[in-house]
Amino acid sequence: MNRLRRLPMDVWFEPLLIVVFGTGYILWYRSTTLTPTEEASLGWSNLRTTILDHITLTLTATVIVVLIAIPLGIVLTREKARPVKPVVVNFANVGQAAPAVGLIVLLTMWLGTGFRTAVVGLVVYAILPILQNTIVGIDQVDRRTIEAARGIGFSGLRTLVQVELPLAVPVILNGVRTALVILVGTATLSTFIGATSLGTLITTGVTLFLPKLLISGAILVGLLALIIDWLGRLVELVATPRGVA
Amino acid sequence: MCPRNTVAARGNLVNMWNYLQGRGEFLGFLTYQHASLAFQTVLVGTIVAVLIAIAVHRLPLFSALTLTTSRVALTIPSLALLALLIVPFGLGVVPSFIMLAFFAAMPVIGNAIVGLRSVPDSVIESARGIGLPRRRILFSVSLPMAWPVILTGIRVSTQMVVGVAAIVAYVLGPGLGSLIFNGLSRLGGTNSVEMALTGTVLIVVIALVFDGLLVLLGRLTIAKGLS
Amino acid sequence: MTDEKTGSAADTVAGERTVTGASIRLDGVVKQYRGQTKPAVQKLDLDIEAGHIVAFVGPSGCGKTTTLKMINRLIEPTEGRIFIGDRDVTGEDPDKLRQSIGYVIQSGGLFPHWSVAKNIGAIPRVLGWNAQRIAERTEYLLDLVGLDAATFEDRLPKDMSGGQQQRVGVARALAADPPVLLMDEPFGAVDPITRGRLQDKLIAIQHELGKTIVIVTHDFEEATKLGDKVLILSEGGHIEQYATPEEILAKPATPFVEEFVGSGATLAHLTLSRVKDVEHDPVVTARIGEPSDEVIGRARAQGVTWIVVVDGDGRAQAWPSLDEVATKDRVSDYVDPRLPVVAPSSTLNDALDSMLAASQGGVLVTDSRGAVTGALTIATVMAVIRGQLSDARAGDGHVTYTAHTEGTTP
Repeated sequence: MNRLRRLPMDVWFEPLLIVVFGTGYILWYRSTTLTPTEEASLGWSNLRTTILDHITLTLTATVIVVLIAIPLGIVLTREKARPVKPVVVNFANVGQAAPAVGLIVLLTMWLGTGFRTAVVGLVVYAILPILQNTIVGIDQVDRRTIEAARGIGFSGLRTLVQVELPLAVPVILNGVRTALVILVGTATLSTFIGATSLGTLITTGVTLFLPKLLISGAILVGLLALIIDWLGRLVELVATPRGVA
Repeated sequence: MCPRNTVAARGNLVNMWNYLQGRGEFLGFLTYQHASLAFQTVLVGTIVAVLIAIAVHRLPLFSALTLTTSRVALTIPSLALLALLIVPFGLGVVPSFIMLAFFAAMPVIGNAIVGLRSVPDSVIESARGIGLPRRRILFSVSLPMAWPVILTGIRVSTQMVVGVAAIVAYVLGPGLGSLIFNGLSRLGGTNSVEMALTGTVLIVVIALVFDGLLVLLGRLTIAKGLS
Repeated sequence: MTDEKTGSAADTVAGERTVTGASIRLDGVVKQYRGQTKPAVQKLDLDIEAGHIVAFVGPSGCGKTTTLKMINRLIEPTEGRIFIGDRDVTGEDPDKLRQSIGYVIQSGGLFPHWSVAKNIGAIPRVLGWNAQRIAERTEYLLDLVGLDAATFEDRLPKDMSGGQQQRVGVARALAADPPVLLMDEPFGAVDPITRGRLQDKLIAIQHELGKTIVIVTHDFEEATKLGDKVLILSEGGHIEQYATPEEILAKPATPFVEEFVGSGATLAHLTLSRVKDVEHDPVVTARIGEPSDEVIGRARAQGVTWIVVVDGDGRAQAWPSLDEVATKDRVSDYVDPRLPVVAPSSTLNDALDSMLAASQGGVLVTDSRGAVTGALTIATVMAVIRGQLSDARAGDGHVTYTAHTEGTTP
């Protein structure tokens, strides 16, 4: 009960936006008549497929990124990785500056078009925020707490699992959430390399001069990003251990 | 598919070198265009952001609302916003500029508000106490103290904008993105890889150079006595 | 009851006190860090008797913390061997070793995301105790360190004061009933009054359990108060003196020790005398609600001009003069927040501190449960000082402080 009382603003602000824009869009969608060309993309069955494709793409990439980046981040914070860490961190910083569309296009030239390449591109692009947040999250755990754990007889592994990781969870989860939002947006670019997503709705709308498609795609992907960000926020709040800020 | 033997790899390097030959001016122009676009949009975004922050920072409710809005605004995918903007504004520079300036402003608003609000009340009070008028306090005390945080926001903004500016080529906007998209449209054809690679690498270079310049700016302008 | 602090501490082990501690022996222990010319700890030989408290003191860089951490191998010795009891632990699995040694650091080092009960149960869970046993042990330990189990079991560290966190830290260290307890500046992060209470608590716990305790401290006063023996180290882990506090103060072994202990050693003797060693004045107690004239009559009969108001358990609530008592019909229920109280194990130095902090001319002496047993006045303390000074300086030709004139050199 105490936790609910301290709800930060963004927990109710985002749902408000989602409800307002979502309802607005649904009402418009219901009331509008679609030409046959528009129907091809915006008809409900096609629209539903497109949305699901987008979500599938995002989630697949997320799962893979998390499975790679978090263990990698943990390994890099261990004593033995000390010499390698700055190299990797600097490389990650430089990589952040690379444009998503550039990465995806280059990968396509190497791996061909389609869903799989899009996933690889998204994974590469989103590894960096999660990796950085994992490293920062673990590094910011108070050294004295770790010393106390080893001092009373916790093994290195037990200290990692029962002390360091739980205390790093808020920061790590924040990184996952940021990466998720980035992924939802970047997934729109997959349309350029032949993988369907809500971006396809947008590009079709641009190419064929159909504002309805364009606006639908833009609003829907915006809503999706908001929903995922909000859900991520809830997970953050629930998963943060009690005694941690 | 990716060649694995060194002969073909050396072949790739040769191709790249051939591509770059004679295109120096062309590439230089695109690079300048891209950098200039990023610079101007970050500048406009920063100014708007700081103005909003100044207007809002003393009111706790509006500050929280603006902070949350700016953070939420960053979840909007750039392609989506760009597409929405071409409906009223058509193709070309205008929607590109507006979209980039919008995204540039968001991190800076957040940091500016936080920075201005973090100036201790006691400092403001003593400034008022010795008779400094409100505006003087803002410009001589609050903004300089908030500057390091604002500068961090500008750095985040810049890196983001330099990267996102790659997609404005889709709506015929300026910059190095056109190299990437042209490379894509020629997929499998001559120079496609070289174009995309050059575009990407040059964008990374611009981002790193700008970041370095901002760090330098920070060293020069942050008053000693503030960490 | 054998008291373990005065006189020859060396033969208290065989006394009536229970000893559950193990002896510690450091044999030729060296710590040399790579890239440094001098070792952090040069060849160190040290014998610590079971059931003793030994305090390591010295200036920063002397290697006291390094030596402490070599006992539980948080820092691995470069050379030498370490024995606990009769076991050579130098080669043992470090994690298992540390599970059999209690370890307390400054501010407790509690895990912030776990409740007090979960913190205390940390090592018992690793050792596979069942939940019932852990719960019972936790309750016992919280009581031992002076915290109400029901109130504190589910508290989070961030909702406790520094002193409370430190107590939980000690409880956690004792959870698996280790024979050895290592403490690294355990009371450094709290205010002096709390520090005194925690020190007294440690002495009380030691009285009950008889562990072998090694404490690292930079505060020589604390070392003399707590330690059966004190180890004074200088740079490089060089042993300057290892003896009882009385011996160190009376016969400093080297000029380093003399300088370290300080030229103000005359008042340092106050840390050697305990409250229980000096005379207490009797107190007249009264309960809340008793008729004032009865109480005043009792007090006058004893010849005192004040009374102590106590609760049902005999704990002091207030210390009013007879005039104050006379202003009301019945003894009031006012609780004085600044009441100066000391334990029998407190030093005279602690007693003086409490008197000064409360601006009173005396302190109330309490037993281990907190019930008032007597009062100690400043006059008694001054008498002790004069007595000690005259003993120490008799025949030395030094100026005693009674004969000292302000503004002249001693």
